Amino acid sequence: MVSIVEHYDSKNTDIIECNDCSICLQSKPILENSSLTIPRNALTFIVGENGSGKTTLIKGILGLIPIENGTMTINSLSKSKLVMGYVPQNLEFPKQFQMTVQEYFKYSAQVPTHLIEGVARKANFPETHLKAPITELSGGQIQKLLLAAELFRKPDILFLDEPLANVDHQGEKHILDVILGIKTEGVTIVIITHDWQMVSAYADHVICLNKNFICNTGLNCICKNSLSKVNIKNIQKVTPDPGFSHEGYCYIENI
Amino acid sequence: MELLEILTIPFMQRAIISGILLAILLGIFGIFIIPRKMGFIADGVAHGSLLGVAVGLFLGVYPIIFAMILAAVYGALLAKVSNNSRLTHDGLIGLFLTGGMSAAIILLSFIPGYKPELFSYLFGNILAVGWSDLYVLIAAFSITLIVLIKQWRPLIMTTIHNDLSKIIRIHVTTSRYFLFVGTSIALVAGVKLLGVILVSALLIVPVLIANQLGSSFKSTVIISQLVGTLSTFGGIIISYVVDIPTGPTVALTLVIVFSLSSGYSLIRSNLIKKRTSHKHY
Repeated sequence: MVSIVEHYDSKNTDIIECNDCSICLQSKPILENSSLTIPRNALTFIVGENGSGKTTLIKGILGLIPIENGTMTINSLSKSKLVMGYVPQNLEFPKQFQMTVQEYFKYSAQVPTHLIEGVARKANFPETHLKAPITELSGGQIQKLLLAAELFRKPDILFLDEPLANVDHQGEKHILDVILGIKTEGVTIVIITHDWQMVSAYADHVICLNKNFICNTGLNCICKNSLSKVNIKNIQKVTPDPGFSHEGYCYIENI
Repeated sequence: MELLEILTIPFMQRAIISGILLAILLGIFGIFIIPRKMGFIADGVAHGSLLGVAVGLFLGVYPIIFAMILAAVYGALLAKVSNNSRLTHDGLIGLFLTGGMSAAIILLSFIPGYKPELFSYLFGNILAVGWSDLYVLIAAFSITLIVLIKQWRPLIMTTIHNDLSKIIRIHVTTSRYFLFVGTSIALVAGVKLLGVILVSALLIVPVLIANQLGSSFKSTVIISQLVGTLSTFGGIIISYVVDIPTGPTVALTLVIVFSLSSGYSLIRSNLIKKRTSHKHY
């Protein structure tokens, strides 16, 4: 197993470097010899079909799942440890654990009581629900709650797993504004998504994961046209390289 | 006999103090055990630790110490095994129960003659709680409480979500070991008073009642503590006055309180529903 190396390197433009990393879940390889970089202060999207390993990749970077081989380096701007934030998708709180939204803020992000309203407002979380049990929140409200708590922790890098999946139209716009806002404050953001419009509009950097490696000519690549038209600074593909790579395009089918 | 008079009897004092300390400890551990769907740990560890009692009786040495060591091993093994592995927590707890109990029965068959002490371990006995038991319990209670204060936030966060806890740099493994080892030792500490068969009541029932009546984490903790300590106190007094076994009396008191709270909770939710439907008209 590989340990994640974190060191002080202010000159490196990449906040995370992953070289030839493999991740297995219950002995089944999910990612094999994958290499990628995540640029600092950029909005990076991770795309790929269901089951291609997007969430596994994020969990590997966050240290939640062990990385089997390769090297994973985190380049910190200061000598203190990098603060990582994570908003998972479809989180469910245990039904037998009674806790209010206010208590969640207090225990998870250690938000002082007098600041809770403002913290909730930042992620468009309804103030009327602050005394509600967390087990009674909808999927969208849970995502806003988690985002609000993570924003209060002031992360250097924030990972969001399909942050708009359960959110209504108005909430979508607000969360996007918040994300773009914290990016200008110097936070690196990594988002898993299936929303190509969002990728086209906002991405600085895209990481594409391929499960099948079928698209050897690029002809079947659905996202090729949509991505190639927009101003995305860098597109990476996560290996293993099928040997038929066409630089600059991803290899995703059946999205 | 009046209540104040009962409270002056030394063995009643020992039973009440130990009962209340146990209710506090197990009530707190229960809050973090029940949401993990691990209530079965109480039966598994208590029954499995009978092997420790049997070893103690066989060697003629203070049996609870052996039972506590064995319980700590059970707790550590549970903490070591991840629930995502092929060997699940409930499977492992079942192994402790059947393995420990079987080995205990076989070992006890080698001890000749009638074993009256064994019955107090099985069903609990207020007369069985001696000063040495109380001192062991007070020491275990004090140590656990000190660690509990330090582990409070980690326990809350790991109960909510393991991954989120790791992200905010909570030491998930330490918290898991403390919860499982602490719960296991506390369960065994209650064996003399309540018996291996009924000690699980103090871990499970106060939390079930608090979950019905409470609306926040703070209120759940307060209610479970009040219910646990008052029911234990009431159960011990009733068992002495009516001259019935202590363990079953405490457990039954808790079950009656649970039934009453369920009824109250049902009526309350029906009233709220009616009020909301009236508003719509």
